[in-house]
Formats: sequence, structure tokens, C-alpha cells
Amino acid sequence: MTKEEKFEEKLTKLEAIVKDLESGNIDLDDAINKYTDAMKIAKECSNKLTKAEEQVNKILTENGKLEDYAPEE
Amino acid sequence: MIYLQDISKYLTVTALTKYLKYLIDNDEHLQNVYLRGEISNFKLHSRGHLYFSLKDENSKINAIMFAGHASKLKFKIEDGMKVLVKGKVSVYEPSGNYQIYVTDMIEDGIGNLYVAFEQLKKQLTKEGLFDQKHKKPIPKIPNRIGIITAPTGAAIKDILSTIKRRYPICETILFPSLVQGPEAHLNLIKQLQKAEEYDLDVLIIGRGGGSIEDLWPFNEELLARTIFDFSIPIISAVGHEVDYTICDFVADVRAATPTGAAEIAVPNLVDLLNLIENYKIRLNKSMLNQIDNYQIWLNKLRNSYVLKNPMAIYQVKEQMLDHLIENLITNMKNLMERKKNKYNQIASSYVLKKPQIIYEQKQNNLNKLIEKLEVLNPMSTLKRGYAIIKKNNKAIFNIKLFKPNDEIDIILNEGLLKVNILRVEGKTNDKGRKI
Repeated sequence: MTKEEKFEEKLTKLEAIVKDLESGNIDLDDAINKYTDAMKIAKECSNKLTKAEEQVNKILTENGKLEDYAPEE
Repeated sequence: MIYLQDISKYLTVTALTKYLKYLIDNDEHLQNVYLRGEISNFKLHSRGHLYFSLKDENSKINAIMFAGHASKLKFKIEDGMKVLVKGKVSVYEPSGNYQIYVTDMIEDGIGNLYVAFEQLKKQLTKEGLFDQKHKKPIPKIPNRIGIITAPTGAAIKDILSTIKRRYPICETILFPSLVQGPEAHLNLIKQLQKAEEYDLDVLIIGRGGGSIEDLWPFNEELLARTIFDFSIPIISAVGHEVDYTICDFVADVRAATPTGAAEIAVPNLVDLLNLIENYKIRLNKSMLNQIDNYQIWLNKLRNSYVLKNPMAIYQVKEQMLDHLIENLITNMKNLMERKKNKYNQIASSYVLKKPQIIYEQKQNNLNKLIEKLEVLNPMSTLKRGYAIIKKNNKAIFNIKLFKPNDEIDIILNEGLLKVNILRVEGKTNDKGRKI
């Protein structure tokens, strides 16, 4: 859950920086720093999405254990 | 045998039909009929009228429900549905069919359920369980999704395939549960309680379509309260789009179908990647923009006249100095000129320059006055040949004051005549006066 919040936070931060830079009300040094940060965040975000593991479906069994689950075709 | 001569006894079909219609329309029992049966041959006309048959094991009657009444129905009509209807029986003359014109219809056997549903909904609304302020936001990007539904059937299949299609990088945990029957709601509650332990980001609870009785566990008060107290955001997807349950109202979000619930629960991975890609493009663009702007600014400064021609600063000042000096000289000259003029004016003033002129002028004036006096001197008149006559040493020029034998003095320019008047003649014009 915390991991996921981080991802959403990152995305929110990324969006904020994009808007900030687009506004143009920012001096060059700041802009360069923010740009570098933002590109790093963007890369992290897309890495997380593209390199994440395949979907895992589990089912909670009667005895309270999680087991792999696939719906009947 | 038919006897032609009795032709007048034969009715037309229309006449018979009209007679039957008359009989039926005038039967008060048939004008207010309560009927129960099962729907078959249901057809929704494009203009909104419903055509169907009502049947039981042995009989069947055609039914029509006009759009005006049909639009008020709170449930979807399907073949096989058992219903209670209210209406009147009449004959449709063109086909000679008798049929029931339905004005109201409810599902058979569920009347009580509807009442219970409405009562619970009202109660929970009043308690604020459905208030928007209690709704938890659904996370945009979940890692782990809980699902409470039946382990078999369309619902779980739809949910998992939708998640796989949109966002195939998250984990799902199915908490299998009964979804219909008298025990189902207790099972759902038990699974909700278990789900609390699994660090879920969001939970989908629901089932596929069914009759209102099938969906009933999702209308149980205890389940509603458990959902209300649940710590994780819940998406409810019970039945089809037209089905609304208490569970839908109390959940944080209601989805029309299980597929819809999955679409709400996860983002579309492609959209998300596009979004990030788009952010990157915008970042590059705005960064380049900014650099361009600075470049333009810098170039503008570099090419500015002063930086290109540093002498220009000096030259301008030089020119200004010249101008100031020129002004100063001109002003000084002007000032001097004005002062000089003023001085000259004063210096060359008549009085200062030739004081004797004033004297001469005065002398002149005096001479003129003297001359004038000279003219006025009576003695000078005598020079011109006039005389003054005095009597008793007084000048007299009134003839009336003279008498014969008066001794008078006649004063001439260069002497005096002592004369006695011989005679006085009364000639009193101006000339006479002077004589």
C-alpha cells in the first residue's frame, strides 16, 4: 500500500513539475534541477509499470491460505 | 340448412364483435381486474408500449401496457417473470381478440421485498450511511485488489479478465463467497472481515445479474453496516445496470456491472504509460522553450547597441556635454546682452547723457513763457497802435462812464495825452470801446 502511494505521489509530483515548468515562472537553475528530477521520476514510474511482474491471481481457501487461482474458462 | 329468405337474421362479424365488446366493457368485474400470471412473448414496441401474454399452467391472455403506464415500472420485464397486474379487459375489434389493458404491474412474490428494501433504504439514508462525505476515494493505481464474489460464474471471470486487459501488473485476491440464498449475506460479511487483514488497496464486492430475490443478500442491513465500517475503499457491482441494491448505495462507488467495477479499480496501463510519456514530452518541450527564451534574451543583450559599441556610451555623453556647454554659453551671452542693453538704456538715457539739455529746455520754456507774457503785456498792444484810456488813473473802456469835459489820460506807446472830452456819442461796439 505504501509502495502504491509512493507511485501515485510520484505521478502527482511529476504532473506538478510539468505544470510548473510550463508556466515559465521559474528561473533557469531551478528549471534545470526540476527538469532533471522530473525526468528521473518519469523514468522510475515507467520502469515500475513496464518491469512489474505479471498479474497474480490468488484465492483465500477454506483453511485460510492464499493459493493461485484461475477462473474456469 | 341455411335459408336465404332468413338473411336478415345473419349478423356481420363487426356487429358481433361490437356486441361482445359492449358486453365486456359494461361488466364492472372486467373493468377492474387483478390478475396474476407469468409473462411470455414479451415485446417492447418502439413507441414504448409493452405487448405480452400472461399465462398459467392452463390458460393464456394477451396483454398490452401502454407507454404512459409502462414508463412508471421500476423493474425490467422479461419472459418467465411472474407478475401481479391490474387492468381492464376489452376487445380489440380488428382481430377480435379480448385482452387485458394493464395499468399497473409488480413482480409476484417480491412485493414484500420491495417494501423491505424501500424501508431499509429510507432508514439508512436517514442515518447518513449513504452520505457523500463518507465515501472514500478509490486509489488510482492499486497494487492489490480484493474481490468478494462467487468463485465461479461470469462475475469473477469478467473482473479478472478486465483487470488483465487494462492493468496486468497487479495482484488480486478472491475471497470466495455465496452470493445468493439466505446465508449469503453472512458469508459476505465474514469475507469482508477477512479481507481487512490483507493490505488491500481497493475491494470489489458483487455478483452477476439475477432476480431481486437472487440479489437480496446485498440488501441486508447487516451487510450494509459492515460495508459502511470497512476501512478499505469498496466498489459495489451487483447485478446488471438496472439493479440497485443497498450495497450499491453504501459502497464508496457503485459500478453498473462487475466489468465496470474492474474498470474503476484499475487504470489502463497503456493510458498510464502514455501519460508518463506525455509528461516527458511536455517536460522537454517546456525546458527547450525556456532555454530558447534565455538564448533569445542573451542574444538580444549581446547584440544591444551599447555592448556592440561601447564608445556609444561615451559618445552620447560627449555630445550631451557639448550641448550643455553650448547652452551655457548661449545663456551667458543672452544674459550679458540683456544686462548690457539695460545698462545702455540707462546710461544713454537723456538725462544722464546731457543734463544741460534739461536746462536748455527749461530755459526755452521760460523764454516761451516770457514771450507769452510779453504778448499779454498791455503795453505791447500799444506798440501795435492801440491806446489805453484812463480816468482818475483807472483804465476805463465803458463809454457810459465818460461825460463831456471829463479829463482823461490817453496812454500811447511812447507817451501820455491829457485830454478833455468834448462830447460823448453812444456808439458802443467793440471798436468804440477801444477808442
